[in-house]
Amino acid sequence: MTAHTYAYESPILTLQNVSMSFHNEPVLRDINAQVLDVTRPGMNQGQVVGFYGRSGIGKSVLCRIMAGLIAPTAGTVEVGLAQQAVAPGMVGFVQQRYPLFDHRTLLDNLLVAAERKYAPAEARQHVDAYLERFCLAPHRKKYPAHLSGGQRQRAAIAQQLLCSDHLILLDEPFSGLDVAMIDELKQIIVEVTTMDELNTVIIISHDIVTTTALADRLWLLGYEHDAAGALVPGATISPQHQYNLAEMGLAWHENVEAEPEFAQFVEHIKNEIRGS
Amino acid sequence: MKTLFSPNAQPRRLVFTTMVVAQVALLLLLWLFYPMQLFPSLGEVVRSLGDLITTQGLIQELWASMTTALQALAVATVLALGISYLTALPFFRPIAYAASKMRYLTLTGLTFFMALMVSSGHQVKLSVLIFGATVYLVTGMTSVILTTTQEEMDHARTLGMGEWRSFYEVVVLGKLDEMLEVVRQNFAIIWTMITLVETLYQSEGGIGLLLYKQNRYLHLDGVLAIQLVILATGAAQDYVFVLLRRVFFPYSSLGTA
Repeated sequence: MTAHTYAYESPILTLQNVSMSFHNEPVLRDINAQVLDVTRPGMNQGQVVGFYGRSGIGKSVLCRIMAGLIAPTAGTVEVGLAQQAVAPGMVGFVQQRYPLFDHRTLLDNLLVAAERKYAPAEARQHVDAYLERFCLAPHRKKYPAHLSGGQRQRAAIAQQLLCSDHLILLDEPFSGLDVAMIDELKQIIVEVTTMDELNTVIIISHDIVTTTALADRLWLLGYEHDAAGALVPGATISPQHQYNLAEMGLAWHENVEAEPEFAQFVEHIKNEIRGS
Repeated sequence: MKTLFSPNAQPRRLVFTTMVVAQVALLLLLWLFYPMQLFPSLGEVVRSLGDLITTQGLIQELWASMTTALQALAVATVLALGISYLTALPFFRPIAYAASKMRYLTLTGLTFFMALMVSSGHQVKLSVLIFGATVYLVTGMTSVILTTTQEEMDHARTLGMGEWRSFYEVVVLGKLDEMLEVVRQNFAIIWTMITLVETLYQSEGGIGLLLYKQNRYLHLDGVLAIQLVILATGAAQDYVFVLLRRVFFPYSSLGTA
């Protein structure tokens, strides 16, 4: 286990007392969590947050809140160095089935995203750069239906990166992928987080091992019990379920899965999820 | 050969074409050699077709009906698209709902009201066709719009598109190919209506009137000849729509099995 030198700077994402109810039934309750810009000497080091929770606990709702797609019943979500209230388009959100516009070619899909942020000529340059970087250049004229699962996923990530402000949410990015594709995607996530100091990827996944290996921070969404031992309605991310993997010496290791401390930690997380 | 009787099989193009040709030939042979008592023979129908073309102006009447049908379809499509897209605004949803339910109205009663509202026979004919086609198109188009998923809209929103821009990208541009398919499927309704409307307003002729006359004088060979011409015209129109879809929306058939 090797601990790297790092420091924390300004907040990039802040969830403050976020609660959400549907028909007076609490789904999420008083969520307080923050992602800080982590810096490492001599390199761009973005942030990777792993986000777990049992099925049906409200992960998707929290994702939509963080992406600015729905407003929470109470609380705020602030993003970026300016800590502005989140609005749709500020946070990229790659949904589970990697949606793209099926009526546009790959090039057009990326251009329509880039032109939200850049002038046409500049947008074209950015798109070309992303096509090269994500190994999609030979497929630029293809429609999404012609792309393989991996290509489609890379295209969806590139599209969101082109117009979001550094923050990107990936919903179940590893589901249904084979080992080689998982490695490829891991490589892409590492690339994304080292492209810009502020780039932050939040991974919502059931693949605990892969996500933990990539993350420098982990959030576990679960239920709390009151003094009498009864379940408090509404899932939350309690302070003891916010793990700092950099502090634990488990972040940014190339082959962290092989380390015994990592295996122990994964087991601990699994037990916490089972008990939540 | 075996693939022709296996579920979900994809027979080779040559095998499939040969099968279709054989089926058509068999049907024609049956018609040729085993005529039914009441059903005109193939020879009679062919002779009647020739007669209709040379002496009764079948082609001109077909052309007149077709231009009216296309005119009605164009106006109905624009109207139906407008009504359907306006369902994005809750205020207009009852209008689309009501328009969709109006397909249960009968044309005969409707022509009376149309005749009171517009001046010429052609206008009545056209407005009845437009009305009839619009209500069917609205039904099909709103059901296409209703297939829009939250995932699709969220995708557009996460790219920073506003609500109208998201609607334009996902529903208008994204489903234009499906709208064309709705228009193709409902074009047949116009042909069903046109034959009826042309008998009510006979001054302009049309293939419907020709069919009515053949029917009235019990020229079954003529009736069948005209029905076959309408069938062939419909099939040709269908083919043109498929071609248009392939040319303008090449992505459309990529995901189908």
